[in-house]
Amino acid sequence: MQTNFTLAQLADPHVAESEQILRRCVHCGFCTATCPTYVTLGNELDSPRGRIYLIKDMLENGRAADEEVVTHIDRCLSCLACVTTCPSGVDYMHLVDHARIHIENTYRRPLIDRLIRNLLAAVLPYPARFRTALGFARLGRPFAPLLKRASALRPLGAMLDLAPRSPARASDSAKPGTRIPEAGKRGRVAILSGCAQPVLDPGINEATLRLLARLGVEVVVPEGEGCCGALVHHMGREEQALDFARRNVDVWTREIDKGGLDAIIITASGCGTTIKDYGHMLRLDPAYAEKAARVSGLAKDITEYLSTLDLPRLEPKRLNVAYHSACSMQHGQKITMAPKNLLKAAGFTVRDPGEGHLCCGSAGTYNILQPEISAQLKARKVRNIEATKADVIATGNIGCITQIASGTAIPILHTVELLDWAYGGPKPEKIPAR
Amino acid sequence: MADTIRFLKPREAVLSRRAAIIADLTDLLPPECLVHEARELVPFETDAFVSYRRLPLAVALPKTTAQVAAVMKYCHRYGIPVVPRGAGTSLSGGAIPQEDAVVLGLSKMSRILEVDYANRTATVQAGVTNLNISEAVGIDGFFYAPDPSSQLACTIGGNIGMNSGGAHCLKYGVTTNNLLGVKMVLVDGTVIELGGKHLDAAGYDLLGLVCGSEGQLGIVTEAVVRLIAKPEGARPVLFGFDTSEHAGACVADIIGSGIIPVAIEFMDKPAIEICEAFAHAGYPLDVEALLIVEVEGSEAEMEAMLKAIVEIAGRHGVKTVRESQSATEAALIWKGRKSAFGATGRIADYICMDGTVPLGKLSYVLNKTSEIVDRFGLRVANVFHAGDGNMHPLILFNANDPEDAARAEEAGNEILKLCVDAGGCLTGEHGVGIEKRDLMRHQYSEADLNQQMAVRSAFDEDWILNPSKVFPLDGRPAA
Amino acid sequence: MTLIPNSETDAAYVIRNAASEGKKLALCGGNTRAGFGNAAEPAEMVSSTGLSGIVDYEPAEMVMTVKAGTPVAEIEAALAANRQMMAFEPMDHRGVMGTLGEPTIGGVFAANVSGPRRFVSGAARDSLLGIRFINGRGEPIRAGGRVMKNVTGLDLVKLLAGSHGTLGFLTEVTFRVLPVPQTVETIVISGLDDAAAAKAMAAAMALPVEVSGAAHLPQTVRFRFLGGGLPAGEATVLRIEGLDASVAVRAEKLAAVMEAFGPVSRLGLEESQTLWRQIRDVYPYSDGTLKPVWRVSIAPSAGHQLVAALRLEAGVDAFYDWQGGLVWMRMEADPEAELLRRYIRALGGGHATLMRASDAVRAQTQAFEPQPDAVAALSARVKQKLDPAGIFCPGKMG
Repeated sequence: MQTNFTLAQLADPHVAESEQILRRCVHCGFCTATCPTYVTLGNELDSPRGRIYLIKDMLENGRAADEEVVTHIDRCLSCLACVTTCPSGVDYMHLVDHARIHIENTYRRPLIDRLIRNLLAAVLPYPARFRTALGFARLGRPFAPLLKRASALRPLGAMLDLAPRSPARASDSAKPGTRIPEAGKRGRVAILSGCAQPVLDPGINEATLRLLARLGVEVVVPEGEGCCGALVHHMGREEQALDFARRNVDVWTREIDKGGLDAIIITASGCGTTIKDYGHMLRLDPAYAEKAARVSGLAKDITEYLSTLDLPRLEPKRLNVAYHSACSMQHGQKITMAPKNLLKAAGFTVRDPGEGHLCCGSAGTYNILQPEISAQLKARKVRNIEATKADVIATGNIGCITQIASGTAIPILHTVELLDWAYGGPKPEKIPAR
Repeated sequence: MADTIRFLKPREAVLSRRAAIIADLTDLLPPECLVHEARELVPFETDAFVSYRRLPLAVALPKTTAQVAAVMKYCHRYGIPVVPRGAGTSLSGGAIPQEDAVVLGLSKMSRILEVDYANRTATVQAGVTNLNISEAVGIDGFFYAPDPSSQLACTIGGNIGMNSGGAHCLKYGVTTNNLLGVKMVLVDGTVIELGGKHLDAAGYDLLGLVCGSEGQLGIVTEAVVRLIAKPEGARPVLFGFDTSEHAGACVADIIGSGIIPVAIEFMDKPAIEICEAFAHAGYPLDVEALLIVEVEGSEAEMEAMLKAIVEIAGRHGVKTVRESQSATEAALIWKGRKSAFGATGRIADYICMDGTVPLGKLSYVLNKTSEIVDRFGLRVANVFHAGDGNMHPLILFNANDPEDAARAEEAGNEILKLCVDAGGCLTGEHGVGIEKRDLMRHQYSEADLNQQMAVRSAFDEDWILNPSKVFPLDGRPAA
Repeated sequence: MTLIPNSETDAAYVIRNAASEGKKLALCGGNTRAGFGNAAEPAEMVSSTGLSGIVDYEPAEMVMTVKAGTPVAEIEAALAANRQMMAFEPMDHRGVMGTLGEPTIGGVFAANVSGPRRFVSGAARDSLLGIRFINGRGEPIRAGGRVMKNVTGLDLVKLLAGSHGTLGFLTEVTFRVLPVPQTVETIVISGLDDAAAAKAMAAAMALPVEVSGAAHLPQTVRFRFLGGGLPAGEATVLRIEGLDASVAVRAEKLAAVMEAFGPVSRLGLEESQTLWRQIRDVYPYSDGTLKPVWRVSIAPSAGHQLVAALRLEAGVDAFYDWQGGLVWMRMEADPEAELLRRYIRALGGGHATLMRASDAVRAQTQAFEPQPDAVAALSARVKQKLDPAGIFCPGKMG
């Protein structure tokens, strides 16, 4: 579609990139149909096409972000279903990233909103702080209903609701070091421990480490790595996000230089999408552009990596698994078949819930910052999943696990936990005895 | 922005009361159902005919028929134009507003109200998407037949407004042939029902009149549509040809032989390349023209029809024949075709024509189309429903170059006139909108148009419903 | 006296004059559907029979343009020579209405006359692509065209179809035709009562076998078809058409499912053709009497409920087409219009048209289903826009 930028505006590489993205959009409207917020709210302003238009109007006029624009951009889950749907190849992801940075730089949020966002950005990416915060959250849970009465405080209520009921157990999975495989080495990878996942559910990476060890893969948990930056990136806090990215790039580059890496394994698809984008995020940083691109090239979701290992086909188990594809998995990384094929090969019966393209409402901190929409999406997702009459749910992202678990009695696990069990690991506790 | 096509001059009496109107609408609708902040109105200024844009006065997004009726009654009382909007996927500018208009969007009315298999009907709200219906009943072996390429996003209300077609209309007909009833809000807010689960009209076929009336006769809020049992199987087959003439002649011969496939779609080389790049459907890239012919039914039936069709194609020098081997492959073949317009966006801006011509004139019109586009120094990709002569030349241009845009518009007009002169019409399924409005006199006499406008006035004496569309702005009846 | 213009120009002249003088006109074709509608005011007849002949017929394009007064028989012969047909199976009303003369194509479209295939392939109005007509001002008007897909402007074609000569005088029609199916077979399920038949027909329509005719012929009418040749008991009949190979497969599949409902037998091509023609033409009530005959359109699942309800209070004989959605009813004595229409409303809506009755009954009965006020007012405004002087068959439809 037609755009209206001055040459001076286009001198800014961010604007230039956005202009190119906007030019591709033909305004056909296909994206509205698969957008979770449009489907829920029925307002063009809360659809990708509407947001693209709002962003275009804001950028073309060189305007600071205002309340209206911020409201609708904030409601975007960044699930990227629109990117999968778009026949014209509009790179909505980088457009909305740019818009979020623009908002962060030009818009002053109301005080409480600012405080909550600062709190999230200061706590979530840091496992130690997060663990401490969860302790407080358990104490604070009785206040959740009270908080939810005041609209500005609703995010705090949602936060308390999402916090696990029982304290996380200690785990060694994130302890730096190299895990030597049980039998003959067939590969060497690094694994991302990340930030929130080891606190919320250390079992995921434990299962990954066990499975890879049995499969003969040497796994490095590098010293010094941390949050991938996705959380703050989606809040538009570019500098903080880039700092996280640079730190991880440094850590992995060191490992690459040390012993070579076949892959950087990621067990949370939300992080995977961001790490695969490091190359783009740091493209304007001459010191990091190349290294970041190399890291992005090596980043693999655990199921992507396992698919290259030719796992043996196992006898069918009588267990129905509803596979929930995280948005960052199917739309962000375009990984659709690998997890299901692995589960099927491992003997599970895989069921696809209806409306599989729709987000569960988790979306990073979305379930905290937009609790109403998130709750509607969760209910819809749970309805679709429960309709499959599955015994368990498998997915590849910690956010979805936390979100969906809070809405259904069907146990939900990471795909790799089921695979670890099928290929000789312990039976996950969450799986019902029969 | 292109500016050849005029809009009606905004009503001063409406513009000057803007603040009061918004205050009144605020009383009529819940807060989340009204958009009026300047910034927020911008995304409603156009639809998929993006070359033209006009900001509306306000946008109403009612959730119930009663709310639609309240808004209509109010707007009627004060002479405020109303522009209905479904998903805003119109390629003819049917949902483009104007400065003095309230956009009435049906996007919040998106529920399927009832599915009745014994009578093979679905009752749906107007904002339900076309594909949602087929998805809702697919598991029970039914589908809703009209399948415009935008079916993923476009709404039934919009389909009724434009009498939408699609690839599979060759066998199953267009919207009007699959619509059994509507609930509709008249211009003064009166709610009426036309038709229902029974067939044919009790009196005049007002339902037939409403279908394709481009939102000028009333606001449809609910519809009863016909469901059809899904065929046992369906198989698209790709036929590649060295020339468009051969493909065109092949189409005429297939139809003439007494075989009616469910769909016959045509793509020329540029279109093949664009769609293949997006969908990776396995379209042959070494041919000048491609036909997608779909047959359906039992295995025996498909075999018999395909055999006959392959034989006919053979007589026209078909170069490649490829049957889809699986449902996934079939889906990819259709995905490529149905994304053709959007996928074109990857390489250029475009406007899409929609003239329909008698089958015998397909090759002639295709050749003339290339001549016209060449003359204007532009490029064209052709992808269309060959079985029913509904052409869709996509004229490629650069929207950031005003001269290029003007040339594209001019070339489009010439192509449409060509379609009419060849015995066809300006629009087969996209509607007149603003895009073809000023060409109406090329197809109709003054008396023909006056008669249509008179009937329109019977529904909306003051012409407040979607007023800038369909009929040329001059020569309208005085209110 | 009947005026028979020989050209569109003449017709326009006649109508323009009548309009200026406020003279009422009754528009007709071959007049075989005389007696349709409300008993209208006396008026001068204008017949389209002087406008006759095929204007354009392109078998390869499946489109035919003819003048409105062309006899249906002539058109059917021309189509048959190319193995084509009008898919909507226009009914011949002469039998049931007790009329003489030659049905014209203009009459078919003016009355939107459709037969058994209507419920899957559409009505006459669905095949009609374009028309020329003279409006009430005496102006020749063209609407639609000759292509299958056309959404250029308001669809006056649909409006004129089924307007029974009250909105305009058709002079030329262009319609879509289809190939004649290679073969036809009919599955007969015997011994089902009306309710069971409704279930069986709904089940058949849910199968992917493309049933193109679904009728139920109760005991009282069954013997009138095929010279009494249908198997004993009520007959629920389902038609399958198409390519030889495919009909065989589909009929087999359908029969297998229908066996669960009752004994199944089959009819071949010729018997099928006769049977469906007789259903189309309402053979059982082509009885030379003036007993009131109703044509009821209702949701298919409600047809038999309507008849069952009426039976408790009135003498009624009935049979069903369109999967039960078209009910042909012959009343023993009183037309029971009010009762009938009350039940139709109670069953979710539809409409009843009085087709045949004595003059005395017709004078007292609304032939067409009365419309809700808002729709009636709208229809009246529409009529006013096409026929401002109100000269075309006043009172016939409303």
